[in-house]
This record gives sequence, C-alpha cells and structure tokens, in this order.
Amino acid sequence: MLNRTIQPDLKTVDKIDFVNPTIYDITSDVKLFFMKDVPNETTRFDLYFDAGNIRGKKGIPTFASSLLLSGTNEKSSTQINNEIDALGGFMESGLSAETSCITMYCLRENMLPLLHVLTNAIDNVAFLEREVTELLADKKQAFLMNMEKVSYLAQRAFQQRLFNSSEIYSSIATPDFYENVEIETLKKFFKNNYQNGLTKVVVVGNLDQDTIDETIDTLGKWVKKGTCEFEKNIKNLPGQIHIQKENAVQTAIRMGKILFNKTHEDYNDFMVLNTILGDYFGSRLMSNIREDKGYTYGIGSMVAEYNHVGYFMIATEVGKEVKDATLTEIKIEIEKLQTELIEVEELDLIRNYLLGQLLKSADGPYSMMDLYLSAETHGLNFDFYNKAIKDLHTITPERIRDLAIKHLVWDEMTIVSAG
Amino acid sequence: MIEFEKFKLDNGLTVIFHKDITTPMAVVNTLYDVGARDESEEKTGFAHLFEHLMFGGSVNIPDFDAPLQNAGGESNAFTSNDITNYYDVLPNYNLETALWLESDRMLSLGFTPKSLEVQRNVVIEEFKQRYLNQPYGDVWLELRPLAYEEHPYKWATIGKEISHIEEATMDDVKAFFQKHYNPSNAILCVAGNFELEYIKEVVTKWYGDIPSGKKPARILPLEPEQTKFKEKTIERDVPTDAFYYAFKMPERRDPSYYIVDVLSDALGREKSSRLYVSLKKEKQIVSNIIAYITGSIDHGLLVISGKLNNGKTFEELDIALWEVLDELKKNKMSDEELARLMIKIRTEKEFSEQGLLNRAMNLCTFELLGDANGINQEAEIYHAITPDHLLEMSKYILMKTNCTLLKVKSTQDAK
Repeated sequence: MLNRTIQPDLKTVDKIDFVNPTIYDITSDVKLFFMKDVPNETTRFDLYFDAGNIRGKKGIPTFASSLLLSGTNEKSSTQINNEIDALGGFMESGLSAETSCITMYCLRENMLPLLHVLTNAIDNVAFLEREVTELLADKKQAFLMNMEKVSYLAQRAFQQRLFNSSEIYSSIATPDFYENVEIETLKKFFKNNYQNGLTKVVVVGNLDQDTIDETIDTLGKWVKKGTCEFEKNIKNLPGQIHIQKENAVQTAIRMGKILFNKTHEDYNDFMVLNTILGDYFGSRLMSNIREDKGYTYGIGSMVAEYNHVGYFMIATEVGKEVKDATLTEIKIEIEKLQTELIEVEELDLIRNYLLGQLLKSADGPYSMMDLYLSAETHGLNFDFYNKAIKDLHTITPERIRDLAIKHLVWDEMTIVSAG
Repeated sequence: MIEFEKFKLDNGLTVIFHKDITTPMAVVNTLYDVGARDESEEKTGFAHLFEHLMFGGSVNIPDFDAPLQNAGGESNAFTSNDITNYYDVLPNYNLETALWLESDRMLSLGFTPKSLEVQRNVVIEEFKQRYLNQPYGDVWLELRPLAYEEHPYKWATIGKEISHIEEATMDDVKAFFQKHYNPSNAILCVAGNFELEYIKEVVTKWYGDIPSGKKPARILPLEPEQTKFKEKTIERDVPTDAFYYAFKMPERRDPSYYIVDVLSDALGREKSSRLYVSLKKEKQIVSNIIAYITGSIDHGLLVISGKLNNGKTFEELDIALWEVLDELKKNKMSDEELARLMIKIRTEKEFSEQGLLNRAMNLCTFELLGDANGINQEAEIYHAITPDHLLEMSKYILMKTNCTLLKVKSTQDAK
C-alpha cells in the first residue's frame, strides 16, 4: 500500500556542467561572446552600449534609446520596421542606469540581414523633428500614467533616496523632461555613446564562423575606446517617508539600502539570507505577510547589482489599512534573523532550492549565456558559480545570523511608502 | 516536430510524456478542464480562488511548497476563463516528489479553515492590486459584460465583484473540488529526460488509485449572435482617453480561428501593422494602438485598443479606424504583407517551443482541444492561409454590428 505521507527520496545537485561561451576580441576592451550549441533555428544577439541613464541628463539617454530606429534621411521609421518584420525579427531595447542594450530575436537564416538593417538604421539615424516630437508626447503620456501608480511613485522616491549621495544616479524623470529637447544634444549623445560606445556583443545561435566574422566586421566601427567609469561610493539616505496618493486602495512599500555585488566576499552567503527572508514562495516574508496575515498578493526581497555597487530592497503592495502593520512584521522578521539561529531543516530546504534553481538557470544555451554574462559583468566567470555551490554546502546558521546583524540594520534603511 | 507519447490510466487520467534528452530539468504540468466559464453567475471568481487553495495543503501532505522546494523545484499556476493549469519544474532526479504532491492534491485537499480565510484575503488584495489600483485596471470588468450577454465570458476570472470572494464558504469550496478536480477531468504532461516505461510506472504508482470521479458535463448558456453595435463610455480619473473595440470571433476549434489571429496581426501587432502606421504614424490620432485576440476556447474577441493623443477626439479615431478596417475588407492583402506576418508567426513559434515548460503546457492545451498532436499541425494551418481567406474573414468579423466599443474618458484636465 502506497504511503502518501512520506516524501519520495531526494537527491541534491552536487555539480553543474557549465558551458563556456567562445570569446572573440573585437578590441582589447570590447568582446563578442558566442554560444553556438543551440538545437533549433532560433538566434539572439545583444548589442551593449555605454549609453545608460547616468550618461546623460534630462532624459536624453531614454530618448536616444527610443529613437534609434526612428528613421534616416533615406528611410522612414515605418520602412525600417517593415524591413525588420519582413525578416521576422523581434527587437527589444533595454535601458538601465549603467547600460543600454538592443536585443534581436530571430531565426538564424535572418540573423545577418537583420544585423545589417539594424546597423544601417542606427548608424544613419537622423533624429527627425517630427519623430522627436511624437516621442516626447508618447513619453509624457506614459509618464503621467505611471504617476497614477503607487508602485511607480514609491519606486521613484526610493531611487532618489537610495542613491542620495550621487546626483546622477539619483536623478529621476520629471514632467519638464518632456517639454523640449535639443536635437543637437541628442545627436552629440548618440555620436559619443552609440557610434563610439559599443561595449559588448552577445550572440546565441547555431551559426557558422563566417557569420561571427561578419558580425565583428560590421560592428567594429562602433566600439568604445577606453574603459567605462562607474560610481564606486554611493550612500543611501536612511529614514522613512510617505507619499500621499488620493483614492489609492493599496499602499506600495519600497525599503532597502546600498549593498554590494558579486565581487564582495559576503555576496554568496548574503544571497542565502536574502532567499530566506524574501526571495522564494516559502520565504519568511511571504509566509508571514501573505500566507499568514493575508495583507498582500505578494512581497519579496532582492539584491540588484551595478558595476561597482548593489542594493538590497524589499517591495510589496498592501491594503492601505495595513501599511504600518506590514512594516512592523518586516521588522520582526529581520530581528528574528538577527537573534534566532535558522533551523537545520529550513537551511537544508533553502540549499536544495537554490541548487535546483541554479541548475535551472544553466538549462539550455540562452539561460547558460545569461548566467555567464551575469558573472562576466563583474569580471568573473563560471568559477564564481562553482564557488557558490561550494559555499552553499558549507554555510552555517551562525553565519546567516551574523550577516543579518551586519547588513540588515533597520536604522540604515531607506523606507518609502506611497498610497 | 514535438514528439510525445500518450496513455490513459484506468481512472480516466490522460497522460502525455514528452522526452527531451538535453535538459537536466523535469516538468510536471497538470491541466484541469475548469475555468471561470464553469462558475455560476452568483459565485464568480471561484475557479481562481480555488487555484490558490490548491497550495494550502492536501489530504496527506500539510504543505505543498516546502517539499517541492526541498527537491530543488518550484511551482505556480494560472486560471483563465477556460482552464486551470498547475506546473512544477524541478531537477529530473526528483521527479517523484512532484508526482507525489500533484497526485495527493488531485486525491483530496486539506480544506483547512485557515487556508480559506487567508487565501480569500490574498485574492482580494490581488483584485485590488491588478484591477482597482491601476489606471485602466478595471477595463475588462466593464468590457466583458458589455460584449457578452449570456455566455460566462461576461465575467473576469478574478470574479464580478469582491463580495463573491468574501462570501465563499467551505461547503462551496468542497463542492467545487468534488465536481471538477478528478482524474477524468485532468490532463497530465511529464516532460524531461526519461524513458516511457519509467514514466508509466511512476505515474501509475502515484495516480493509479485515485478514484476516477465523473467528468462534469459542460452546458453553458449560448451567446446569442450579436446583431447590433454596442457602446459604453465610462469616466475615470486617468490621464488619457482610451478605447477598446471588441469583435466576436470563432471558437478555438474552428479553423477560421487562425485566420482571425492573422487578421489581428495585420491590424495591430507590430510597428509595421496597418493601424499603427495609419493612426499613429500618419494621422497622429493615437499614442499607441494594438490588436490581438483573447485566445478563448469558446467564441472569443478580437480586440483593438489604444490611447488617444492629447486633443484628439473619439470621433476622429472612429472615422480613421473604420477606414483601415474597410480597406482590409475591400482589397486583398498583398503576398508581401502576408509573408511578413507569417515569418513572425514562425519565428515566435520556434522561440516558444524552446522552453520545456511551454512545450508541456501546449501539449496539454492541444490535448484538451482534441489532440495533443495539434501542436505539430499549427504551422501547416497558418501556412495554408491565403489573402482570399483573410478578405472573406474580415468581411465577416469586422462589421459594425459585430462590434462592442468601450470608451474610457479622462476626467483629468488636459495637462
């Protein structure tokens, strides 16, 4: 007779077979990372530029990124979009504080034609007045809509106070961004940060050597000369503020502090602590605030990484009447981690869970490449994950408690609520 | 081509096995043939509330998530108007833990009062977060009952109103489980690097003794054919006027479903689409516009939605929009345009089949529609579509009398 109360025997991940990408030097500073082992027709390529939000003022990086395919003196934006669609390309552009990235998904037979359409359109972008005006109106509308969301209001005030000591990192969009933009400023930014700003190229797909060679030839003209400088010392402004939003039925909470990234010796173990607190479905915060109290649909904690720094954040949307109760419970959960040792069963569970998730993050060529890139950005490689596996097997309850005491100091937190 | 094997247990459970030797992960996907369309109008939001309760412990296992996390896995679920789908992704050597957990909650739930109380609150917060506390968040709560008169698609999966969730009782919950959660009403797909014999053995081991139950008969109110244009304007504290044109379309199993899908792409999928080019780039009436289909199993909707530019009126929009629709109904599409739509569909399908979880989910969905192998026939169906098909279909679908229009009027001052 089947005993349904007993869990089947478990095995733990002890080793993951990481597959390194092939690395080509476009120049000594700018590399192309290539993952060939794709068992189907799909391809992806990413172009990274030193054109993140910190590189310009008053929304210039955002506008430049959005206008890359807005037309040349020969071709309208609609013609360019037609060409991309006729080749089955799905393009995404991503902009973060420190980088701008263009990603194209397509079938491998269309990879080079798409690369040429894209580079031609970008290289000759004319920043036509009509396109710029249209974009400003669209962005303004999107901005006004975002300002209706408590999550956006909280996030933006949080960013301001989190990066408090750096003017450029703490800069957030304001309505005047959308009133007027100097086309010459856009052009100058484009020339410096795109046409002379390529910092990295990534290609995933079952492509031959000629294709890679041609990719390097095509993109060589854009490479950035010299290294990129990023902020190393940033301090957040501790303390709590509330942003009033009439008629909101929920309150958004964002709280956290400046921390570190993968290069810090506490990183791996802190990620275990972060998972326990708020980074999986069974986390302390989810168990207490969602599954026990029912205050929210979701609550989570995370670590975000920049080139030289990182930050820790807890984010949630809760019923407006339980904002203070939620903050109290978050505080209680952090204090528990600082005063009580985690039980062996819970730590085992976290270890097994994280190992399983790492295995999943290395499943397939696309995931494998992303995992690699996430280390490469910090000058690391797959050795980082091999060490992480080792650290997971040796971490102790005492170490977790000590890290909570060291890094989760309530009085150091920036706390923002909006609702 | 996606290979699979299919077998049925004596209790009626349909099992699909999909082998993939390249992955270290396994997927266990369970589709229950129950969605919001199976609810009664007085107790809406139940299928979705129930999905939450499925994580609140089963008859022999007090906690669903912890054992799965201990096995290195994770799980989630979603509810639509048509189905409820649960999935687990975990390292393949721990497959049995997922089967143990999923089979036990198919057998019976814990039904603890605490779980019901808490999940009621969680769902109410979800209702607020996604539908009430977002600009335009309640649009589908308005559009559905406007577009549908009789069919249960007239309410959203979250439910018609919060009170239905607040008033859910344990008896309601138990009755819902009895009726819909049994092997004959489920399709299971196991995917990963396994042998068929092994899958047969472990699936039979964990699911074989679950009583079969009875597949509930589904008799839904028929939606009467729409014969006249319907329109409603709501006023909201949002920054911009927004519009939603919804056209009734054929059901999922009808071959012309795919033709309407391509029509929606032609109208408003990409920046090269007709509505985008005409209404945004040329006439500058809208700031954004898209067209898509709801993908429903019964008669769904082709929706055109977007936002007006400052200073533009709904009347200007209406004239320009119908011009584009009329053009589609009057002149055959060029081969070039059709080819452009097709390469996007082909590329998208290749990417969507990259992932093991997607393949497992799609196999279950196609099995529900009649045959899992439908997943391999889809490309051919799209390929066979001609400009003539599109012309005929557009005349049939894109009629004013088949249209429901919801306008959201901004009460904010122009800024």
